[in-house]
Amino acid sequence: MKPFEHHSPNSLEQAFDLITQDDNNSYYYAGGTDINLQLKSGILAAESLISLKNLSELKGIEYKENNGLKLGALTTLRELQRTKTIYNHYPALSQAAGLMASEQIRSFATLGGNLCNAAPSADLAPPLIALGAIATISSKFGEHKVPIEDFFLGPGETVLEEGEILMQITVPPPNGETLFIKHTPRMFMDISVVCIAIRLLMNNGICNEIRIALGAVAPVPLRAVNAEAELAAQPFSSNNISRAAQIAAEECSPINDIRGTAAYRRRMIEVLVRRGLSSLNENYSKV
Amino acid sequence: MSLLGKSLTRIDALGKVTGETLYPGDINMPDQAYMKILFAGRPHAIIKTIDTSAAEALDAVIAVFLAKDVPVNEYGMMLKDQPVLCGPGSEKPFAERVRFVGDQVAVVVAESVAIAAQACELIQVEFADLPVVSDPLVSMQEDAELLFPDKESNVFIDYHILRGDVEKAFAEADVVVESEYRTPAQEHAFLAPESGLGYIDEDGRVTVAVAGQWAHEEQDAIAHALGLPLDEVRVIHPAIGGAFGGREDMSIQIALALAAWRLQQRGINRPIKIIWSREESIIGHHKRHPYIIRSRWGATKDGDITAADVEVIADGGAYACTSTKVLGNATLMCTGPYDIPNVKVDSYGVYTNNIPSGAFRGFGGPQGAFAAETQMNKLAQELGMDPVELRMRNVAQDDTVMSTNSTLPKGVTLDKVIESCALAAGWNNGIAGWQRSGESAWPPKITGKTKNHIKRGIGFAAAFKNIGFSFGYPERSWAKIELHGETEIEKVVLHHAGSDVGQGAHTVFKQMAAEAAGVPVDKVEMRLADSAGKEDSGSASASRMTFMAGNSIKGAGEAALEKWRNEERPAIAEFTYRPPATTPFAPKTGESNPNFAYGYVAEAVAVEVDVETGHVNILDVICANDVGKAINPQQITGQIEGAVVQASGYTILENFVQQDGIVKTPHLSTYLIPTVLDVPDRVESIILEYPDEVGPWGVRGMAEMPYLPFAPAVIAAVKDAIGVWFDEFPLTPERVLRGLGEI
Repeated sequence: MKPFEHHSPNSLEQAFDLITQDDNNSYYYAGGTDINLQLKSGILAAESLISLKNLSELKGIEYKENNGLKLGALTTLRELQRTKTIYNHYPALSQAAGLMASEQIRSFATLGGNLCNAAPSADLAPPLIALGAIATISSKFGEHKVPIEDFFLGPGETVLEEGEILMQITVPPPNGETLFIKHTPRMFMDISVVCIAIRLLMNNGICNEIRIALGAVAPVPLRAVNAEAELAAQPFSSNNISRAAQIAAEECSPINDIRGTAAYRRRMIEVLVRRGLSSLNENYSKV
Repeated sequence: MSLLGKSLTRIDALGKVTGETLYPGDINMPDQAYMKILFAGRPHAIIKTIDTSAAEALDAVIAVFLAKDVPVNEYGMMLKDQPVLCGPGSEKPFAERVRFVGDQVAVVVAESVAIAAQACELIQVEFADLPVVSDPLVSMQEDAELLFPDKESNVFIDYHILRGDVEKAFAEADVVVESEYRTPAQEHAFLAPESGLGYIDEDGRVTVAVAGQWAHEEQDAIAHALGLPLDEVRVIHPAIGGAFGGREDMSIQIALALAAWRLQQRGINRPIKIIWSREESIIGHHKRHPYIIRSRWGATKDGDITAADVEVIADGGAYACTSTKVLGNATLMCTGPYDIPNVKVDSYGVYTNNIPSGAFRGFGGPQGAFAAETQMNKLAQELGMDPVELRMRNVAQDDTVMSTNSTLPKGVTLDKVIESCALAAGWNNGIAGWQRSGESAWPPKITGKTKNHIKRGIGFAAAFKNIGFSFGYPERSWAKIELHGETEIEKVVLHHAGSDVGQGAHTVFKQMAAEAAGVPVDKVEMRLADSAGKEDSGSASASRMTFMAGNSIKGAGEAALEKWRNEERPAIAEFTYRPPATTPFAPKTGESNPNFAYGYVAEAVAVEVDVETGHVNILDVICANDVGKAINPQQITGQIEGAVVQASGYTILENFVQQDGIVKTPHLSTYLIPTVLDVPDRVESIILEYPDEVGPWGVRGMAEMPYLPFAPAVIAAVKDAIGVWFDEFPLTPERVLRGLGEI
C-alpha cells in the first residue's frame, strides 16, 4: 500500500474544496470497509483520502408517514438492520442490510458506501430500486436528485462526478409488500451470487404495482422490467409467476466468475423470483 | 481415584479466554526488527536476476537475504527438493527456478512492517516464464515439462499393491462397480496465520519461536539449511492457534532463523518478527492433496467383495513435502477396511505447479476412504443390499489378510463401531441381516409443513486410520519425569517436547503424568514445547500424540517410580517409547506391515437438499469412534465435533480454486469455510473403549478418524435424497444443480 494523505473535513465546504484542490487521485470515503481492501490489494492507488464521517449533513434517519424515509448516506448497515421504523416499514431493506457481512463490518459500512462502491452484488441496491428510492447528490455547484435505478453505470462506476458527494437517500412511503432474497453457498457472511428484491402492491387480487430488482447478474443492479410487465394489471397464477421468473432470468446478463457461472446465476434468478412472487402473493391471499 | 476418564478442565482454558496466553504473534521483544518474505507470485519461471539495490537503499531497511545467503539451500520432510529461497547463486541445482506462486524469493528485514513491505515492492526480479503444469494427468505424461530437470519424470513416488488374481476375480464377479473420483484441495484455515520471532538466545543458539507441530523436525530443518550442528538451533512453540497438519512443513521457520543468524554475523543482534497475513498464509503453506482415484470393484451376488482394482493419482503440487507418506496412506485406505482377496492398486504422486500438497487431518485417509466407501455404497445399491449389511459381510477382523498381505494389529473393532453407529441410526440386525426400519426415530422427523423442493436422505460410511507414523519410520517419543519429595512424592515434573496445537494435548499429558506417578494432578508441573533440553517426541500428527506421549510418560513414570523405591531423591528417569516396528511397501506387491495401531470409526449422516437452489444442509450426524480409552472424554467429543465441522466444510463448501497455478481463492471471502450456521445441527458422539494392545492404558488415537467417513456418508445421503451420485465434491449449490441437470 502506497502512502497517502488523509483528511477529515468538518464541514461540507471543506470536503468539496479538498477534492477540487487535489488531482483526481483523491477519494471520499465513509466506513472504509471497501476502500481499505482496494488500497491494500493495490487495486486503488490513492494520493489522498477524505473521510466524510464528520459531516452532519450526511447523518440521520427520519421517517414520516407522508414523506417516507430519509437516510443520511452515513447510515450504517447495522442501523438499517436494527432501526425499528425501517424494520417495520421497509423490511426488505432491513433484511438486506442484516444479511450483509458480519456484525463488525455492519457497524462500519454505510449505505452511501455500499452504493458508491457500485459492486454489481451490492445488496442494498435491489431493495432501494424496488422501493423507488432517490439519491440526493451535492457538489459546490449545487444539488440534484437521481433515482437509485439510474445511479449505477457499471462495476465500480456511478453517476457521481468529480467533487460530488452522495448526501441522502429518500424512500417513498411504504406501498405494498416487499421482500429480499439472497442466494449464497454459505448460509451467512457471504457475498451474493445473486439477490433479488420485489415490491408488490395488489388491489382486490390484481397486481397494481410491481417492481422486481436483480443484483449480481449484470454490470449494474437492474430492474426486470419485462418480468414486471408480464404481471402488471393481472391476478397472479402459478403460470404467470413462472413465466415472469423465466423472463427475469432472460433479462439479466450475468458473467462467469469465481462465485458461479452465468448459467447458474440465471437459474437462481428464475428460482428466487418465482419464490419471491409466490411468497408475496401468499401474503396477500392471507389478508 | 484415577484421573483417566475424567474431563479435567483444559489447563490452557483460562489464559486463552482471558487473552493472557501469548501466541507467537503476540510476543514482542525489545529492539525487534520486522521481516517480510517476497513470494514469487508466478507459478513456473526461472529467476534470471534479482536487483535489491532500490530496496536496500531505503534508510530503514536493515538487510535483504537471497538464495546465495542460504548455506544449504534446501529442505523437505521426505525429499529435500524445496529451496529455502529461490534464485541464482546457491549450490542447490535448479534453485533459481520458482515452481509455485508462494515460492520464497527474498527475505527483507526492516525497522517497520510498512518499510519491509515497501522494500519488497522495490526488489526487481527478472523472470523467464516456463510452461505451467497444472493438471497432474498432463504432468504424468512422458513429454511433460519437467519441474525438476534433473529428474526423469514429474512422478516423484509410486506404489503398487498386487494380491491374488484380480482379473480372474472380475471375470467371476456378479456385480462390478467402476468410478472415477476427484477430491478437492483444502486449506487448513487455522485461526492463527503463521507468525513468530527469530533471535539468538542467551546461549548463542539460533532460536525461533513459532507455531509448529514438531519442534525437533523444525530444529533439524533449520540446522540443515544453515549448516549448523543441531544443538546450535533451538525451536520454541508458544501457544499454537491450530495446525491440522498445516504446520507440519516449514513456512517461516528457516527464513526467521536465517535472518537472525546472518544479521548476527554482521554484528547486528536483534530479534526478527514476522506475522503473515491470511492471504500470505493461504498462498504460503501447503494444502490437502487433490486426488483422482479410479476404482473398479467386483462382488458376488451374495455381497462378497472379491476384487478391487484402483488407480490413485495425487496432485503433489510443486514440492514433495509429506506427499510420499500421504500417498502411502491413500494406497492402503483406498480399498477400505474390508476383506478383499484380490487387490491391485497403482498409485502415483505427481509434481505440478500448484501449491504444494501436504499433511492435513487424515493424511491421505479421507481421499482413500471417499473412494472406498462410495464404492461400498454403490455396490450395496447394485446388489440391492443394505449398506450396513454389505459392510458387515466384508468387515476386516483380527485374522483378515489385508491388501498388504498382512493382518491388522490385534483388536480390530470395525464391526463394533459399525454396529454401534447403525443401531443408533435406526438399523437392526434381524433374520434378514442388517436393515433399517422405516419407523426409526432417527433422523428426527420434520414437524410442520414440508416443502416439495426439500428432499431428505441418510448415508452411512466407516473407516480405519493408522495411529502414528507408518511404513518403517523409526517412531519414538521421549519423556522425562522427575519425582521430588522425601517420604512421599510432593512434586512431579514432566519434560516433554510434544506440541499442544490447540487439541488439548498438554492437559492430557498432565492427566497421564499424574496417573503414571500415582499423584493428584495438581502435583504435576510440566516443562514443555521447547527443543532445548529435550529429546524428540515426534509430531502432533497422525492421531499419535496421546498414544505416543502417553507411552513415553507411562514408561518414564514407571522408571522414575523404580528409582523412587530405590530411594533416589529426586528420582529422575527418561524413557523413549518405541512402538512395534512397521515395514514399507514391497516394490511390486505392496507386501508390508504398514502400521502398529489403528482407530476405527463409523458415521451416519442425515441431510436435506434443496433441489431448486442446490443447497445441501447437514441435519444430523452420529459418529461411533473406538478411542481405546478416553483419557478426557470432553476433549474426545470436541475432536469428534471439530472433525465433523471441518469435514463438512471439505464436503460441502470449501472450494479451493487454482487456475494455471494461480490461486483464485486467496481470501476467506472467496474460500468459504463453514460458519456456525453451516455446520450440522447435531452431532452425537458415541465413544467406544475397546483397549488397544499397545496403547497406554489402552488408548487409541482418534483425532483424524471422525473426519474420514464424513464425505462419503454425505455423498450417500445426498444420493438417497435426490437420486444422484456425486463422484466429485465439494457439493456447492452449483455442482448439485448440475448433477440434477438443472443447469
